[in-house]
Amino acid sequence: MRRIATAAVAVLALVAGCGGDGGDTGPGLGVGPENADVTLRVLAGSELLDLEPVLADAAAATGVRIELDPVGTLDGAEAVASGAAETDHDAIWFSSNRYLALQPEAQARLGTAVDIMSSPVVLGLRRSVAERVGWSGRPVTWAEIAAAAGARQFTYGMTDPSASNSGFSAVVAVATALVGSGSALTLEQAESTAPALRDFFGAQTLSAGSSGFLQDAFVRRVTGADPGEPVDGLINYESVLLGMNAAGTLPEPLELIRPADGIVTAEYPFTVLAAASPEARDAHRRLVEHLRTPDVQRAIAELTHRQPAVPGVLPAPAGVAVELPFPSQADVVDALLTSYFDKLRRPSRTIYVLDTSGSMEGDERIGALRRALAGLAGADASLTGQFRRFRGREQVTLLPFSDSPSSPQTFTVAADDTGPDRQAIADAGAALQPRGGTAIYESLEAAYRVAEQQIAADPDRFTSIVLMTDGENTAGSGLQDFQVFAATRAPALRGVPVFCVVFGESDAGEMEEVAELTGGRTFDARTAPLAEVFKEIRGYV
Amino acid sequence: MTAPAGRRSGRRVLSWLLALVLLGVIGFVVLRDVGGRDPDPPAVTVVTGVIGSEKLAFFADERVRAVFAAHGLEIRADPAGSRQIATTVPLDRYDFAFPSSSPAADKLLAQHPAARTYAPFSSPMAVATFTPIVDLLTQAGVVAPGSTTLDVRRYLELATSGTRWDQLPGNTAFPARKDVLLSTTAPCQSNSAAMYLGIASYVANADGVVADQAAVAQVTPSVQPLFRDQGYLPSTTEVLFEDYLSGGMGRVPMALVYEAQYLAEALSPDPLLPADGQLLYPSPTIFSRHTLVPLPPGATGSASCSRPTLSSPRSPPSTASGPPTPAPSRRRSGTAACRNQPRSSTSWNRRRSTPWREC
Repeated sequence: MRRIATAAVAVLALVAGCGGDGGDTGPGLGVGPENADVTLRVLAGSELLDLEPVLADAAAATGVRIELDPVGTLDGAEAVASGAAETDHDAIWFSSNRYLALQPEAQARLGTAVDIMSSPVVLGLRRSVAERVGWSGRPVTWAEIAAAAGARQFTYGMTDPSASNSGFSAVVAVATALVGSGSALTLEQAESTAPALRDFFGAQTLSAGSSGFLQDAFVRRVTGADPGEPVDGLINYESVLLGMNAAGTLPEPLELIRPADGIVTAEYPFTVLAAASPEARDAHRRLVEHLRTPDVQRAIAELTHRQPAVPGVLPAPAGVAVELPFPSQADVVDALLTSYFDKLRRPSRTIYVLDTSGSMEGDERIGALRRALAGLAGADASLTGQFRRFRGREQVTLLPFSDSPSSPQTFTVAADDTGPDRQAIADAGAALQPRGGTAIYESLEAAYRVAEQQIAADPDRFTSIVLMTDGENTAGSGLQDFQVFAATRAPALRGVPVFCVVFGESDAGEMEEVAELTGGRTFDARTAPLAEVFKEIRGYV
Repeated sequence: MTAPAGRRSGRRVLSWLLALVLLGVIGFVVLRDVGGRDPDPPAVTVVTGVIGSEKLAFFADERVRAVFAAHGLEIRADPAGSRQIATTVPLDRYDFAFPSSSPAADKLLAQHPAARTYAPFSSPMAVATFTPIVDLLTQAGVVAPGSTTLDVRRYLELATSGTRWDQLPGNTAFPARKDVLLSTTAPCQSNSAAMYLGIASYVANADGVVADQAAVAQVTPSVQPLFRDQGYLPSTTEVLFEDYLSGGMGRVPMALVYEAQYLAEALSPDPLLPADGQLLYPSPTIFSRHTLVPLPPGATGSASCSRPTLSSPRSPPSTASGPPTPAPSRRRSGTAACRNQPRSSTSWNRRRSTPWREC
């Protein structure tokens, strides 16, 4: 019973979001008169920021000031479920409410929901690859895609399904098409580890906790700006893929493969919260009416490449796009994700390069680091914690450093009973002791050497390095040495990104540089709890 | 969820008729509340209601608004699933509730007693579909050749055996690897799906109303998959109908909607029905009586803390438990009249006794 409740909440977490980013809580958006009678405060997926010109017009037309606060998918859902969202927001706007609907407590917090636009999740393949595998201009099924993926005829990138609705929708679509019987997935089917599923997910070579990072990484790799191996395609919203084609930054366009046996579509319901004031509900009503007028619907379609929600505004797309049934039971969704993370996806290999210098003394430093590791090891029972913990089959290496790198400790988590191995990682984290100086770059190079050995022994994994430091480099080699090292890395190491945690007094500029050099990104733990940042990074590894 | 203003700027005939009927109703509500003040010259009185979503197009119609405005009324209507209106929607913010059926209104009345209710119109349930689907259903014996009647018994045989579209013999028009299932709304939230549950359980029970636990146990295995196997369900019929209009055959091959929705679209000056759109009528069927319930000023929202539950043992509804359905004293007629089986009806009780655990 309890487990189901937890699962439902966890699922929720996934949900809300959509498409959105796993934690890119960048600056929000405020449009409309500053002195408006009413301000609608909206908790939104970050992808909604692309509507800015439309929303500015809507604010002017309705006299409503609109404030969009972009929030990570999991965080947004957590906020709705707990009721925290309604203390400082009037509405939510994510790509789907389906997951929220699995939870009666969350459902009751939602008021009127109005679909504004839609976009299905599809596969975009570089044109030359689509032609090579023979998929240009003809219907293709998920089974064919899985078979080609199994034969490694192509590779693709996809967002983490616990961080973003596009990745989650893809997992649902693939499982429903490959192991489903024609109706919504059953629990037994959701737990399936059928070869076709392993084949399909085995071809994923790029993962990301946010849709924005995924697109950037794809473009950088395909244009050679990033040293990593180019990826052949992306699974994402059709609107995102069309937007990439329109942006003109790709060397060749993406061919959109809409599997003939079914897709899952996001419908972007703009939803007022049940607790909103009468003024806010009225403002929501006026905004929604405005957004659904034919002219505005056309403007949305033109600007975002999403399809209008209002029928008849644009000619219907040609062909019959079959919509797959979306599971409506929390335990089914929970089982599907657990199976994906622990058994189906390519396993991760993550090397944690952890600063244990003297400056890490104190509960808010070394204590926070120990808690962050314990959280990933399973102590975090929150929504977000459930699917961000260390996963079945994952290889985790802890490489603490101070004046020099310590000897690495490597753990491999069992696929079926993940608990004991996760506990061992937590124990190793609890034993970390602060002392000495800060040899960042020497330790980073040591991590790459560890990665090289591990890749040679077991190549078929996502390999990443997480660097956490609370100060500037005080020992060993410097950034310039690392730049030289990065440029001369062995081919197998060129696709290994460094995700840098900026913490304490660390040099944010140098961390940006390291992330840029390696195709990673930085995460700021000066403004967010270290444990939350460690959890966010999980969407990328 | 619905179409506040976007499409249907013109649904001439129905809208006018409905506006006239409703005007009297809402006018009465407001005048009562403001103490019968002289309506001339009309000072604008804002009346806020929560309505079954399928009526939003009506309330959003400019001409309807104009008629109300001429009488000093501005109606602000929030759409919601009719079952949500009766259970989870906090009603203390509204002057009236307007669910799509008398059972839903009865459920609401148990929490919010009102002196009387108003049922200005009713609509039978209908299946919005496409010509290729009708052809397939005809070949499968679910629709008689040339008929617009969908034989629910034959349909249930197909659906409960888990038949997929691509398993129908000779199907080249729609070979989807997807079960032959009517698309519906969520029965816990929306009246139209609850009506469908009534029809299906009646047929599954050998043309008898499901009135006791034994019957429930007997029909559940054949009725539950009709909803469960669809997966996620929209909470309002307007969303479902819009999906039918814009998503096409692949998304919603057959949608259980109100006949009025389809007709209103057909009668609009700029109808958006698919070129090969078709309307079928389930047999047996049910008429849904849209019922307006005036709410007292500052109605306490006890419903806001109750979860939708079809199996809850709470206060009995005012409708009778079995056919024929006697009319509650405050209204002129009963809940839902069955077209082909006049002795049957879908009363709230029967739905409540269905062990619909997801609710």
